[in-house]
Amino acid sequence: MSYFLLILIFGFRNEIQMANFNIDAKKETTYDAIVIGSGISGGWAAKELCEKGLKTLVLERGRIVEHVKDYPTMNIDPWDMELRGGLTPEEKKTYKSSIRSGWVGTETKHFFADDAANPYTEVKPFMWIRGHQMGGRSLLWGKQTYRWSDLDFEANAKDGHGVDWPIRYKDIAPWYEYVEKFAGISGEALGLPQLPDSHFLPPMELNCVEKHIKSRIEKDFPGRNMIIGRAAHLTEPLNGRGKCQYRNRCNRGCPYGAYFSSNAVTLPAANATGNLTIRPYSIVQSIIYDDAKGKATGVRIIDAETNEAIDYSAKIIFCNASTLSTTRILMNSTSSRFENGLGNDSGELGHNLMDHTYRVGALGKVDGFDDKYYKGRRPNGIYIPRYVNIDEKTKTDKFLRGFGFQGGGGRAGTQAAANIESFGANYKDNILKPGPWEFFITGFAECLPYHDNKVTLNNNVLDKWGQPTLSIDGEFKDNEKALNKQIQEDAVAMLEKSGLKDVVGFDNEHGFGYGVHEMGTARMGRDPKTSVLNEFNQVHGAKNVFVTDGACMTSSSCVNPSLTYMAITARAANHAVSELKKYNI
Amino acid sequence: MNRRKALQKTGVLAGTAVLMPSLLSLLQSCKTESRLDWQPLFLTDDEAKTISTLIDMILPRTDTPGALDVKVDLFIDKVFAKTYDESGQQKIRTEIAAFNADCKNNFGEAFINLDEQDRMEVLKTAEASSGKFNDGVWGTTIGKQEPVGFYRSLKSMAIWAYFSSEEIGENILNYDPIPMGYQGCIPVSDVGNRWSL
Repeated sequence: MSYFLLILIFGFRNEIQMANFNIDAKKETTYDAIVIGSGISGGWAAKELCEKGLKTLVLERGRIVEHVKDYPTMNIDPWDMELRGGLTPEEKKTYKSSIRSGWVGTETKHFFADDAANPYTEVKPFMWIRGHQMGGRSLLWGKQTYRWSDLDFEANAKDGHGVDWPIRYKDIAPWYEYVEKFAGISGEALGLPQLPDSHFLPPMELNCVEKHIKSRIEKDFPGRNMIIGRAAHLTEPLNGRGKCQYRNRCNRGCPYGAYFSSNAVTLPAANATGNLTIRPYSIVQSIIYDDAKGKATGVRIIDAETNEAIDYSAKIIFCNASTLSTTRILMNSTSSRFENGLGNDSGELGHNLMDHTYRVGALGKVDGFDDKYYKGRRPNGIYIPRYVNIDEKTKTDKFLRGFGFQGGGGRAGTQAAANIESFGANYKDNILKPGPWEFFITGFAECLPYHDNKVTLNNNVLDKWGQPTLSIDGEFKDNEKALNKQIQEDAVAMLEKSGLKDVVGFDNEHGFGYGVHEMGTARMGRDPKTSVLNEFNQVHGAKNVFVTDGACMTSSSCVNPSLTYMAITARAANHAVSELKKYNI
Repeated sequence: MNRRKALQKTGVLAGTAVLMPSLLSLLQSCKTESRLDWQPLFLTDDEAKTISTLIDMILPRTDTPGALDVKVDLFIDKVFAKTYDESGQQKIRTEIAAFNADCKNNFGEAFINLDEQDRMEVLKTAEASSGKFNDGVWGTTIGKQEPVGFYRSLKSMAIWAYFSSEEIGENILNYDPIPMGYQGCIPVSDVGNRWSL
């Protein structure tokens, strides 16, 4: 590493050094609020509750990860790693689920959970990525951030699948704006009703091939747009965070704080209030419910290091353990009032699991740009917003709902060089030069909420701490298969019409979990008989318990959900504090 | 020069009992030439020589370093030793043995004992007959990947090891750890070789 680089990094580190977190939850076991989990939604819950003056305890099942200080691989190059990113057979066992994503390597493995210590049962294939550390998967997410629209919030009501969302776009729009201004979302405004614009920082740039294909698609396929991804990457400094430096090393932790993570953004803000305590190694065993009071009084944890059971009490509890872990906690929280799990009067707890379809699309080669290249590794791609079933004109009878595309263009990497039927001096000199241009798109389709896509508590398989685990039983069905078929056909058509060569359509759908957009299993609804949560994410029958992570989702849309989790969480926290002040909870 | 050719050239292949001193030294020099100068973690010396010879032919030294200059063979041995499980390691041994068996069938000797011309023929045949890698999207292969065989796999590993080595990554390719911005359309002549990271 050069001297100049060291100066850059350490100079920057000094600037953003933050106050230490209060991790001493030994003396005090009573708080105003408890937040279970510190990922994308938990970080927001902590920030909002702390800023509104509540003494807040965040329970994190893993270790502390302090921004910058705990990003050990953020600046290392391939040759700095003994195996250049490769994993040993033992490590492959530790990450036996998440490794299927293709994203686990030496440089990122410390942000993926130990799958061996935390087993689960795949009734049907399910790739589960978990982030058991402060910040959770906010250190690993894809940063794609899109608002949902009434096309999404009205979908269940219109076609009768699942139950109606208890909210509409107008209820959440101000909260989208609120979280966007603090998180920092870069992107381009389009004015599309099916994909409302966010409060944007300047968009990232398309490269020459992407610009070319954009113009072809928008000319040849009226009604379709191709834009740079809207993403939680700063393109301008914001609140002391630096802008993106185009290193594309996000999954190692960003020393500039340029992408949104709990570690860089919400938890430091919560900490600055003086109201935050974060307790690491705290596995929530259950939420304690008081039958007489008709509400929850606290949380029982197991210390992951000592196995000690400890109770913490609070007036309000936010569940943000991530979709399936939150549902597991609710299922494990039984009482004489809730024999089948907290808030499960409806019998819907654990049901209606959803994910997005993934890795169906097309890829091709692009001629005519061999004299062009780009500079920088942009951690973002292109987006083609949904264009089917958005109005009467675009309605199809082949399937319900719709899909969008993500993808991008670039010059081929070195793997492609192994296919060239040549070797020797000229071959070597040739592959030192940039490879041919390629471009691909892959669809993300909405999954209907099916009652029989579900998780159940499994008392036969226990985790390292003796706790029951989950059996996961979810699959894409006929509607999603029809969507995937259309995705591939449309992808091939768009690329061929845009003049690409050797266009290959592909369907690498492997089933649930690969989209890493698992949603549902504790859905919001209008009727306690058919839902687990009300319109403000309060558990039916335990109004001081809020679920604002992916578990709360009533449908899945086709667009990425994290921004919606942020907005729903901020909205629910605001409601919680207002109800607390009115002595309603 | 390999032993078999040396013997053929000197006409002593058919069982001459006594070797002349000059011939002895010639044979010894052949042996010295191909002696391994590093200690493999997993491969046997002969297997390592096979790998080293192959990758040297795929990525030879020109005005830029070759695969052996940046110790690609040592790294590949380490990958076999530390990232492959037992069955994967066994498969590699079997594949190298099968590769040499093919060489023996077609050219009469294991790969490292062939002369340069025969080795070239072996590689040309391997290029033409080996499977290809499917394209990948976001870290995973698209479609169903059929096995590509020993040669293509090794070539791919060699390219990975070569490009991810410090010398190539920092000095031969364009190394830009902190680009600071993104320019989506610049003349390729402004860059030259591909970006390193």
